[in-house]
Amino acid sequence: MIKNLKKYFSLYGAMFKASVIADLEYRANFFTRIATDILWYIAQIMTFEVLYQHTERIGDWDKYQMRVFLGLLFIIDALYMIVIHENLENITEKVRKGDLDLLLAKPVNSQFMLTLQKANTAIFGNLILALSWFFYALTGLPDFNYERLLWMLILIPCSLAVIYSIRFMFSATAVIFTRSENLQFLWWQIYKLGMRPDSMYTPYIKFAVLTVLPVGVIVSVPARALLNPPELSYLLWPLVLAPILIYGTHRFWNYALKFYSSASS
Amino acid sequence: MKKSFAVFLKRNLAFANLAIVTNLEYRLNYFIDAFVQPILTTGIEVLLWIAVFKGAQSETIAGFAKDSYLSYALWSAFFARIATSWMYEARMIEEVSSGSINSIIVRPMTFYEYYLSQFMGYKIITTLLSLTVPLVAAWYFDLPTIYSRIPLALLLCFYFLILVHTISFIISTFAFHYTKISSITAAKNLLFWILMGELFPLDLLPEPYKTIFITAPFASGTFVPVGYIIGRVEIDTVYTGFISVTISLIVLNLLGAYLWRKGLDSYVGTGA
Repeated sequence: MIKNLKKYFSLYGAMFKASVIADLEYRANFFTRIATDILWYIAQIMTFEVLYQHTERIGDWDKYQMRVFLGLLFIIDALYMIVIHENLENITEKVRKGDLDLLLAKPVNSQFMLTLQKANTAIFGNLILALSWFFYALTGLPDFNYERLLWMLILIPCSLAVIYSIRFMFSATAVIFTRSENLQFLWWQIYKLGMRPDSMYTPYIKFAVLTVLPVGVIVSVPARALLNPPELSYLLWPLVLAPILIYGTHRFWNYALKFYSSASS
Repeated sequence: MKKSFAVFLKRNLAFANLAIVTNLEYRLNYFIDAFVQPILTTGIEVLLWIAVFKGAQSETIAGFAKDSYLSYALWSAFFARIATSWMYEARMIEEVSSGSINSIIVRPMTFYEYYLSQFMGYKIITTLLSLTVPLVAAWYFDLPTIYSRIPLALLLCFYFLILVHTISFIISTFAFHYTKISSITAAKNLLFWILMGELFPLDLLPEPYKTIFITAPFASGTFVPVGYIIGRVEIDTVYTGFISVTISLIVLNLLGAYLWRKGLDSYVGTGA
């Protein structure tokens, strides 16, 4: 077991190094990616800053609390973009071109390879920006208890597990349908539900985004851990949910592979 | 002259037809693109506006009632989907960078018109099908909608699409020089997302940003046509939109022609 873990860690290390070299090779693309995410940050910030010119509160939070929520969203999104995003984006392409055959033939877990083969190292620039915005936003809360940041050590990995699991299941449908680009775009729409605070939603929708389609767990739960008095059952939910979802992706991937007929055959 | 125009028209109608048939082939994919995505966006935006009005504890925001914002959320999601280009831009870039553009260059047509006709064909069918949703929803929920204004609003949006295609054409010429440029498409569409008014009605911005954003050609993709339909803007803003798009088309087409010639000069025939 330990030996196996070591093998996968060293494999990831090697793939990460290769990703850095590959990203630096296409420098124009490297910088455009950073610029793209900055535009996305601007879009999110602008939306709420404009709305708060016309209202005091949205959901439970005022302007300063919403800035912290956005900071968390940017950090979680940047981490997801660095480690996972590009790999899952390319699954459809790999299925169509037959590249999945090569991965399935390797003596390592195919889900591991599909998920972590390529890191998007350009996004480290965005992570720094996201962290800067987050800490700037925290300074807007005069009575903020900095010990609450410790919750992030548990909740951010859980958020990443949730975001990965849902996205992976969307991507894995490419094996079943072969052409599912727009189904991938659909993921983006669902993810958008999680980019807004859960307190904004009506009780039924709030319940749905925290349980059935748990995109609300990604940012809203960690943000509540920082901004509101801790509610233990609410904060422990991601710890239960994350392993269930990760196991779900494993089962779903094995199920999807039954439909795979290999593009190169 | 008359004959050559007839040939030109026939050829481009065939391209448009090709786009319609190709896209309708994968029905689930198309259904998600034309219906599911904008419906979900509308749902999310409607929830946001309900929360904003609840927090504001006021009947109006910037002089408009909640119904106006709900109607904006409904129409803007569909207009914004019509006014952006992901798929065809990606295909144009792929065509140049992979070298498969050779088969288009040797034919008696231009790369620009080949994709413009396909793009328009795809957008026409998407518009006809997907706009049934906001039409029915606006009627059912009795949301502010001036139905007689829809044709002119659509005309402006389709005029704006020529500009969108021209920008896609310019971006695709970069593929003559650089191998990986897909992220430019993402950056451009995000910029459109901000500038078109899909996120929020642009008239909520403080001055001078409000005037700058509304006068810029990008507002003609969503804010101006939707604002005109729901009564937030009047005909003079629509005319400004047409003028702004026309000026941009002249400038960007000249730039595109220059970049295309420069790209072809450096093109070696087997992909960049």
